[in-house]
Amino acid sequence: MKTAKNNKPHDTNRPRHLKLSKGDIAFNIVNYTVFLLLTLACLFPFYYLFINTISSNELVRLGRIQLIPKEIHLENYVQVFKISGIMDALFVSVARTVLGTLWTVAGCAFLGYLVTKQEMWLRKVWYRLIIVTMYFSAGLIPWYMNLRNLGFLDNFWVYVIPGLVSPYNVILVKTFIEGLPPSLEESATLDGAGYTRVFTSVILPLITPILATLCIFSAVGQWNSFTDTMMLMPSGKNYTLQFLLYKYQREAQSLAALVRNTQDTNALANVATKQTSLSVQMTVAMVVTFPILCVYPFFQRFFVKGIMIGAVKG
Amino acid sequence: MKKRWLPLVTAILAIAMLLTPLAKLEVHSQIAPEIASQFPATISLGSVMLRGAGALPVNAVPALAVADFGQWMLAAGVAVLLASAAVSLIRKRGMLLLGLAGSALAAGLLGSFAIQAANVSNSLLFTLLMETQVWIYLPVVLAAAQIIILLVAVIKEKDCVDLSDKTWRLAGGVLAIVAALCLLLPSHVVSVPETITASPADAAVINRSLTLLDEALGREANLQTIGTEKAVFADVLTGDLAALEPFSADATNIKGIFVIKTVTTAPNMLLLAGAVLLVLALILAFIPRVDRWFAVCCQVLALVLVAASVLGVMSIGDGDMFASATRQLNKLGLGTITFAPMLMALITLASAACGVMSILTANEPYFVNPIPEKQRLRVVAIALTAVSIGLMLAPGVTFSFTKPGMNKVQSTVSLSGAQAMIFSTPEDMLSPKSTQGKALYSEKASKNGNLTDAGVADIMSGLTGIYGIASWVSVAVAAAGLVMIILRKNKKATIALLLSAAVLRGLTWLIVTLQMPKVMGSAGGTFFLFGSIPTLIFAAFFAWFADHEELPKKYKLFLMMLPFLVAVFLFSYLPLYGWSYAFFNYQFGKPMSEQEFVGLKWFTELITNAGHRDNIVRVMKNTFGMSGLNLITSWMPMAFAIFLNEIGNARFKKFVQIFTTLPNFISWALVFSFAMAMFAMDTGIYSKFMLGIGAIDQPVAWLNSGEHIWLKMWGWSTWKGLGWGAIMYLAAISGIDQELYEAAQVDGAGRWAKIRYITLPGLLPTFFVLLMLSISNILNNGMDQYLAFQNSMNKNTIEVLDLYVYNITIASGGTTLYSFATAIGILKTVVSVTLLFSANFVSKKLRGESIM
Repeated sequence: MKTAKNNKPHDTNRPRHLKLSKGDIAFNIVNYTVFLLLTLACLFPFYYLFINTISSNELVRLGRIQLIPKEIHLENYVQVFKISGIMDALFVSVARTVLGTLWTVAGCAFLGYLVTKQEMWLRKVWYRLIIVTMYFSAGLIPWYMNLRNLGFLDNFWVYVIPGLVSPYNVILVKTFIEGLPPSLEESATLDGAGYTRVFTSVILPLITPILATLCIFSAVGQWNSFTDTMMLMPSGKNYTLQFLLYKYQREAQSLAALVRNTQDTNALANVATKQTSLSVQMTVAMVVTFPILCVYPFFQRFFVKGIMIGAVKG
Repeated sequence: MKKRWLPLVTAILAIAMLLTPLAKLEVHSQIAPEIASQFPATISLGSVMLRGAGALPVNAVPALAVADFGQWMLAAGVAVLLASAAVSLIRKRGMLLLGLAGSALAAGLLGSFAIQAANVSNSLLFTLLMETQVWIYLPVVLAAAQIIILLVAVIKEKDCVDLSDKTWRLAGGVLAIVAALCLLLPSHVVSVPETITASPADAAVINRSLTLLDEALGREANLQTIGTEKAVFADVLTGDLAALEPFSADATNIKGIFVIKTVTTAPNMLLLAGAVLLVLALILAFIPRVDRWFAVCCQVLALVLVAASVLGVMSIGDGDMFASATRQLNKLGLGTITFAPMLMALITLASAACGVMSILTANEPYFVNPIPEKQRLRVVAIALTAVSIGLMLAPGVTFSFTKPGMNKVQSTVSLSGAQAMIFSTPEDMLSPKSTQGKALYSEKASKNGNLTDAGVADIMSGLTGIYGIASWVSVAVAAAGLVMIILRKNKKATIALLLSAAVLRGLTWLIVTLQMPKVMGSAGGTFFLFGSIPTLIFAAFFAWFADHEELPKKYKLFLMMLPFLVAVFLFSYLPLYGWSYAFFNYQFGKPMSEQEFVGLKWFTELITNAGHRDNIVRVMKNTFGMSGLNLITSWMPMAFAIFLNEIGNARFKKFVQIFTTLPNFISWALVFSFAMAMFAMDTGIYSKFMLGIGAIDQPVAWLNSGEHIWLKMWGWSTWKGLGWGAIMYLAAISGIDQELYEAAQVDGAGRWAKIRYITLPGLLPTFFVLLMLSISNILNNGMDQYLAFQNSMNKNTIEVLDLYVYNITIASGGTTLYSFATAIGILKTVVSVTLLFSANFVSKKLRGESIM
């Protein structure tokens, strides 16, 4: 964990030149083992799913793939992209993740800046009106009927537009901006810069760390959500990958038939690469996971930073 | 950037992708073997690029001739892509930007083609004939990669942003031209034929396709659905729209055509206005001594108009018209509608946005705004008033005929303010033009007994009269206000005039809505009707400051805040209006005024109705059970953090931390996939392992049983959340003063003593806050997890409150319990808020700190 360098995290281990007591050694062995097991428990499902998608489907069907992949092939991945609707779903998923993230982060950044401006007319009233929405919700049906009445049903933009204001993010940005030295903004204002100019040229470059955090959270949230598709897209438009995954879990049988229809006869004859409902469902799951696995290691530090900022506030 | 050749590589790759057989259209042979033998199985996009749809075996399968493949789109995309890569190789200022614009355009063109191809091959007529390969998207992806590379290069090489003022203006102007050109290109959405009659040539093609379908149907038993739809085609070809009637009950079927027929003009006009403004922006950008703000304003306005048009086209009706229209037209064999116009509009938006940016960047100081500073706010007020008067004359009230139980607009008639002002009732309003609308209209009129066609017509004329008179008055009042602003007369009177015009507008709408005969449908306001009200209010606002040089800061900030407040109101406060459903016997699709008021019936039913009560008790048990398990174990992340902190090896610590947080970032649907794989009855590792060690003697249905479901759910949520929950505690640990540990060390405290007396007390405040928050969230345990794991075997024990509400309403498809579900929602919110405030109160008492 990268905390500030001048404040090294507490380390209770004795200095190295001192001999560890027997109790310490025992403690360390148990402690390391437990954490190793916990980490493996977190990683194993990913691994398990992965080896089951690249091994012979026949062996998978017989339950013979448990720890080691056998008869490796990539046919599952080739076939899964041929299922009608998968490409569309991928497009929708990517589009909502990109657009939704940009929209909500831009909105919350600017709003977070605006609410720090003491001179705004009735600032406190507006700020409280926004923040208080964190604590109540109208409930499922009113929420659903509201979006329906606003014409958002079966509409792609429902994934994007309602996310403009997220009170928690606004608080994070506001707290962050308040921690910046006010002199920067003052000097820019003296140079004749307006509010938008100050925001884009002074504030925005300074708040990128918090924006990066918000981006990650929002992107992960957008990528992962499937219940909104389920409720708000009754006529089967704008399906996302996550929702397709959910749907496939429910309709395992018909799915396998669908896949077999798109396969040519040669592939059908080969039992090892023949698609089963389980293989398709698992492959889609892997396809959904890959993007997260790819970006996760790079952005992990932002998560930590983000939750720490949150913790300071909390 | 040194690697200037990178864009070239991606461009060449993209082109290679297009020319190899990888990127191909595959024509299947499912129709008939003798036809299948006549054409090749795959056609590379290279040949499509050269020959268009002619590359397809159109002689063998005439239906393929309908496939309108934009070969120019492909060719242009390829050319632009290559050119942009070449341009970015030139080490000259601005070339990178030019390359960037080029690759954006290329991506648009290629993407447009790819989507069109996919669209065509997904349409009913073609699904049997051809399919699109995934690879068709690859060139687009590569073009996108090129954009990213160039973007990085532009950011790194800032010199190219440092251009002269003239160049920027030029760029802005050129982008305006591009945008305007895009708008003027044929856009199929707005040129759909008024009536569905196929030309003889088309009809021949369609007939041929139908024959092919016939043959196919003979062979394939699973194409039943196509069979029914085929019958529709045949009827539509004869021009009889009524033939579609039986299919209108199908939610996805009929809407497209009808909607297109009725509302093509508004998006068209918006687009035209956008194009005109863009050209104006171009001219303004080049006139010296004109403030660049005018050009920017023009482009921004154009942006708004085009965006409105795109959004309007995309979301007319209660759904995405584009998709449904595409489907419809494709089904009918008239399928020339593609995503091309939408992409064109998007390119327009992008280039207009770039134009704004580039003109903004041109900041030579000698350009003067011809409007004196003191007059600027006055000009804004005048402009706003003028706009609102324009809005009042535009189509104002929309009358919709709705069929009971369908919730779908069948026919819509707009009554413009100008029309009403000369007291003419549109012909459509008295007798709807469309067959369907007419049928509904007379059906409804006769059903009501005392309302004849003529009677309804009388009422409608009356409404027109009211609307006309009110329009006259409000326009006159607003115009008076306008004159007073211009003449700089009494400020207060001006504002009063403007505001009263706004009030009049609102009242007009209210009266028309209330007077509208219920049998007919409903009167709705449109953007134009409601649009004039805020514009008038803003006009009054600016009129108040008309003598100032600029707006006072506090109001300026408020104006910036306003869009956000509107969003919060729309998406957070407006739903609260829905709480009223709990006091009515809410029936779907009826206006609130016709709903039956039942008072607290639904709330008392929670207790008095045995069926509901039993369910609620069961669901509450589950909710409390599972929330409770999580509450009881909420110390676990803290313990995790404390013991992780005892790990000396920093790398191992980091490794553990990274990978135990990972599960938090995957969705519950995915977690369920894991569960499905690992706990599958015969094949999963769980069964195999347990059988192996002899803990069970036969495979168990771990997922499909209701046993121990609370524990299982707790297990999964701990698996997902443990590592993540620990991060906050780790942060808190790093905040503990190191000197405490050193002092303890000196005093001879051991590991346990330090944990017991330093770390633990340091973490307790965080623990306490989180505990309080989770207590107040005890009812909100979400539904994603339980929804993913739910099945018929475990439903009784897994259903938590949120899931239950969903299951009895949206999931079941029934709408009878909407009121009941709303009542539950209200109670839930009330309880949650109460719990939160109590937790806050407790926290304040115990720790002197608020948790909110």
